[in-house]
Amino acid sequence: MTIRILDPTVSADADLDTTVAKRVAGLDGKVLGLLHNGKINGDRLLELVRERLAARYQLRDVVIIHKASASRVAEDTDLERLARGCDAVVTAIGD
Amino acid sequence: MRVEHEYPGWAEAVEACFERGWTDGLPVVPATEDAVRRFLGAAGRKPDDVALAETTRRRTITAEKVAINAVMAGCRPEYMPLLLAALEAMADPKFTLHGAITSTGGSATLVVVNGPIRQRLGLNAGGNVFGPGWRANATIGRAIRLITLNCLGALPGLLDRSTQGHPGKYSYCIAELEEENPWSPLHVDRGLPRQASAVTVYAAEGPHNVLSHYGETAESVVVAIADTMAALGSFSPGESFVVLAPEHVQILARDGWTKPRIRDALYARARRTRADLKRGGKVAGAVEPGDETAWIHRGLGPEDIHLVVAGGGAGGHSAFIPSWSRDRNSLSVTKEIRLP
Repeated sequence: MTIRILDPTVSADADLDTTVAKRVAGLDGKVLGLLHNGKINGDRLLELVRERLAARYQLRDVVIIHKASASRVAEDTDLERLARGCDAVVTAIGD
Repeated sequence: MRVEHEYPGWAEAVEACFERGWTDGLPVVPATEDAVRRFLGAAGRKPDDVALAETTRRRTITAEKVAINAVMAGCRPEYMPLLLAALEAMADPKFTLHGAITSTGGSATLVVVNGPIRQRLGLNAGGNVFGPGWRANATIGRAIRLITLNCLGALPGLLDRSTQGHPGKYSYCIAELEEENPWSPLHVDRGLPRQASAVTVYAAEGPHNVLSHYGETAESVVVAIADTMAALGSFSPGESFVVLAPEHVQILARDGWTKPRIRDALYARARRTRADLKRGGKVAGAVEPGDETAWIHRGLGPEDIHLVVAGGGAGGHSAFIPSWSRDRNSLSVTKEIRLP
């Protein structure tokens, strides 16, 4: 006798938008976003990234946001600010 | 109801669950359509009823998926209302579900059950309360883990990045021994009526044993528990669960201690200097003048210490269970269990 079994797994909701943002060719004249995830030294790592990128490109501006805690996702207002105000965003975990 | 896979027999279906990555590493009970229908019926739920909507990874868990995983864990149908209440509690934003199930901290979801449902389901609150031997404890805790794996995608090495984890990640479910509790049980402390059945979820480390056999005074019991709570390894401003063994409860009650007094005494004693926290790598920076006399307590106040009674009648072994959360990002949540 055969046995039929049901699938216990769940996939991400179908309406989840996973479209990747358009890539930028370079950062000259662009606004760079830096999202620090809240772990120790993540901010130092991002500062090094900012220094390196600023040496290579003429950045128009840099937006730096610190998450309050690594355990929580970024606030909607912070994500909105990055999405609307930046051409490229770098995020980093320290520790 | 969608049937996914067909196999020649039971043994092949069990093996297929391993191959598909649907288990916790132990064999599961293959979930047939008939079994799942019985589980949904016991909960009075339709297959598409939403049991939990996780907002970070955007996963919607239906009652049918809960039932499938409950069958696989070895549950009985009548456990379903408890599981659904536990998931409702885990969905509370205070619990921070995504962080709790994915963090390097490696927490497990401790499930504490109160009220008359304990007897109805045969939950153990006595000897070996954290150990094996009781189907309800073992399979309810396991079902929560299977749902975490299969429905929330917290697979080890992928989304679950636990550095070490702990054995409670297989199953971590206890009942409170309310009959040996001279004070109020946990669910009453959390605002529910005594006759209600309730479930509390807590993103937790494993239980830390507190052996105190020979003092035989309330003071000695509190000294031992507070010392364990003050240990550097788990020290944080997070919540604490203290699971008091009946022997310790009898000593505390005999000496006239109330829950508020126990909480106050534990909070007062469970503290370290900032210098200690720096020396132990718990706080960044070098020890500075003033750090040796700057005291920091575990938790934000006595109300962060939750007292539960459970365990066997013999032995001075209580347990301290620290919060996974190193600060205030995940808090325990209590929900009433509603029967259909």
